[in-house]
Amino acid sequence: MNEIPVFFLHGLAYAGLLFLVSAGLTLVFGMMNVLNFAHAAMYMLGAYFSYSIMMHFTGQFWLSLMVCPAILFIIGALIERFLLRRVHKFGHVQELLLTFGLAYIITELVKWYWGNYPLAVNIGGFLGSTIQIIGITYPVYRIFIFLCAIFVGTVMALILYKTRLGIILRAAVNDSEMTNTLGVNVPLVFMGVFAFGAALSGFAGVIAGPLLSTFPGMAQEILLDAFVVIVVGGFGSLGGAVVASLLIGQLQSFGVLLFPKLSIALVYLLMAVVLIIKPSGLFGEEQ
Amino acid sequence: MSDYLHIQNIHKDFSGLKVLTGVEFKVKEKERHAVIGPNGAGKTTLFNIISGKFKPSSGAILFKGQDISGKPPHVLNRLGLSRSFQITNVFQELSVFNNILAGVRSHYGLRYHFFKKPDRDRNICERVEAIIDEVGLMDVKDQPANSLSYGKQRALEIGITLSTEPELILLDEPTAGMTREETNQAIKMINQVTAGRTLIIIEHDMEVVFSLANTISVLHYGTILVSDTPEKIRNDQRVKDAYMGEG
Amino acid sequence: MKQKNTSFIIIALFLAGAFMPLILKQYHLNMLTEIIIFALFAVSYNLLLGYAGLLSFGHAMFFGLGAFMTAVAIIHIPGLALWNAILIGVVTTIIAGFVIGSLLLRHKGAYFALLTLAFNALFYAVATKWHSVTGGDDGLSITRPDLSLGFTSISMASLTHFYYLTLIIVGAAIVFCWYFTHTAMGKTVLLMRENEERMKFLGYNTNISRLLLFTFTGAVAGLAGSFYTLHFQFVSISAISVDMTTAVLLMAFVGGTKTFWGPILGAFVYIILQNYLSNITDRWPLFMGFIFVSMVLFIPGGLSEVIMNIRQRLFGKKDNNGGKSAASEEV
Repeated sequence: MNEIPVFFLHGLAYAGLLFLVSAGLTLVFGMMNVLNFAHAAMYMLGAYFSYSIMMHFTGQFWLSLMVCPAILFIIGALIERFLLRRVHKFGHVQELLLTFGLAYIITELVKWYWGNYPLAVNIGGFLGSTIQIIGITYPVYRIFIFLCAIFVGTVMALILYKTRLGIILRAAVNDSEMTNTLGVNVPLVFMGVFAFGAALSGFAGVIAGPLLSTFPGMAQEILLDAFVVIVVGGFGSLGGAVVASLLIGQLQSFGVLLFPKLSIALVYLLMAVVLIIKPSGLFGEEQ
Repeated sequence: MSDYLHIQNIHKDFSGLKVLTGVEFKVKEKERHAVIGPNGAGKTTLFNIISGKFKPSSGAILFKGQDISGKPPHVLNRLGLSRSFQITNVFQELSVFNNILAGVRSHYGLRYHFFKKPDRDRNICERVEAIIDEVGLMDVKDQPANSLSYGKQRALEIGITLSTEPELILLDEPTAGMTREETNQAIKMINQVTAGRTLIIIEHDMEVVFSLANTISVLHYGTILVSDTPEKIRNDQRVKDAYMGEG
Repeated sequence: MKQKNTSFIIIALFLAGAFMPLILKQYHLNMLTEIIIFALFAVSYNLLLGYAGLLSFGHAMFFGLGAFMTAVAIIHIPGLALWNAILIGVVTTIIAGFVIGSLLLRHKGAYFALLTLAFNALFYAVATKWHSVTGGDDGLSITRPDLSLGFTSISMASLTHFYYLTLIIVGAAIVFCWYFTHTAMGKTVLLMRENEERMKFLGYNTNISRLLLFTFTGAVAGLAGSFYTLHFQFVSISAISVDMTTAVLLMAFVGGTKTFWGPILGAFVYIILQNYLSNITDRWPLFMGFIFVSMVLFIPGGLSEVIMNIRQRLFGKKDNNGGKSAASEEV
């Protein structure tokens, strides 16, 4: 069997998942200047909720793909309104500490409720089957992940750059006080952005379930790759997240093929090189 | 003989917006040079470039014959160039003494030492006290900067600027926001503490300019309109137009 | 607090520490040794967080590196002297701190937090994969070498002997960290947090300052890690994991980042809570998590802030800075 196309497609699928996770992270960072360490924990919650839903209503993948992001949206809104907003006035370090603490609590709660072992999510139907593509047999689900990422990325770009809402969002970033006096409810906008980021992470979590296994360490695993994505792509840059996700997806995939022992180090090596050459990331603005 | 400070054809644009378009003037050693000009003429940008906060888009700054343009602020400071800020930029939570100490010990090379305590060095402490005395803050020596009156914070700002023993001092609107009386005191103090050094000052207040400077450069729309003695500037038609035209 | 008083307190603490082996049972002496080691780790962490305002999520990489290097050195170099085992741990962390620090020095705030976490994860991944050297999940077991003083040799098999060594060496390192906060470099770090821009215009190279501080705190953490290995006579990948960073963050934050002694108190509280809570429930990390988040929300100054407030109320004594900030000129 020809390995290169397979690994290429694997890379694309992982890139899709990485983008779904890092897009929410970079959106919240770009808009609110908050680096959300709990983002991956919420992604993990999405995966676990999805597991429970699919256990309860056998194989209802589409249901869980809609319900889980909604639940995470509400959780995100509550976190922003009652926790994050409280510590905002104490400054950045406090915000980071809060999200870090929340990630810690969520992980412990997950271990308590679902147990400290991997759970498998099986997906049936067409999504669980394989198709013939570029001369090889390939799982439909991995292609589905990539298409989901393209869909989400396109919708986000359209909202940000083509709608009135997008104008308000970008204005709120540049000068929140001014936007506030212009009659836009900036706190509400921020709450919405944070909740949307959470929903996106939940969406990614549902998607990740059938691909990777669902276990308490999954948050930290993806968080680090997502961090590398936003360091390489540039903080707060959606376009950068796209390019960096593709880059790291392929690097991970072919890394396993070519240097099985070094595959983790490759990603960090890329990060270190970018840090030395362009500390603000490939698409980040200089200072 | 080469000039003490020669600003050579400095350009600066911020993502397309041209703020400085070929600034050119010279400052002699021990000169007291004022840069004036209407709001938005680029005075503070020029200062930020001379002091190393920004890099110029093009052009050179020759300080005693050496091109210093684009060098980082800490290097310029060690070459003997020190600046004050228009918006008070002190260490708010620290006492006046410790504010001045930060600069004095830097001048004495006690910046990164892992063993020496700077406040145990008698020479350094004496110098700190002398500077506090010069800027008239002896009575509030141990008070934190954020508890001082506005006028005293401005004096502290100048004290910090002096604390690294600069030979070239740049003051950015040192009397901005002061009452007439405070301004008069400040002029007197600045005249004393900068005696024997080269001074470049940005100022709006014409009275301050004429009482401090012996040479004036007029910055208008990103370029130097004229550079001359106060008497000549006072009667220069172009300056009158530039100023009066805009009120 | 005036410095004279502080010196008095330091001497009193050392004397009290010297009597502990006479009073405490082995189990508690063990715990006290652990507390002293983690106190140093937490103090070094707080020089970054409380003094320089740099939130690092990667401090365990230095702790773990020191711990592993000491273990690896003892295993692979027969007859290695105790001092050299510690020295190898510390020197390696100095080099690592300098290299990583040079990559990070331009970054602050969220960027710094994220990058330190990423580097910590890299160290963890390498330690996990490099099974032949680090023992991977199984860890490494060692036997403490004896302490050679030239004319005589002291057996380190006894916990009491090792406790005294820890008290003297690690205690001295904590005192040096305290002293450091009063030195030129220590003050430079504080001033940079207050107003980095002005420091640049006063002739300070703030990037170099950050690099020096990062390397220094890394080396101190490495020393703590080295003693951690010697104490447990065992090291596993948990010493270099992000969980270890979380532990030190909890210690520093719960104790209070705004005073020098807060993290020491934090290490004390954390180790004791860990020992007792883990006996009562498997869910003790969850409790720690809730304690941490409530403190972030309600008492950002940690326990030391609570104590300062109580003291102020009881004695009406007003400390110059009332625990407001580590930037206070005397802590």
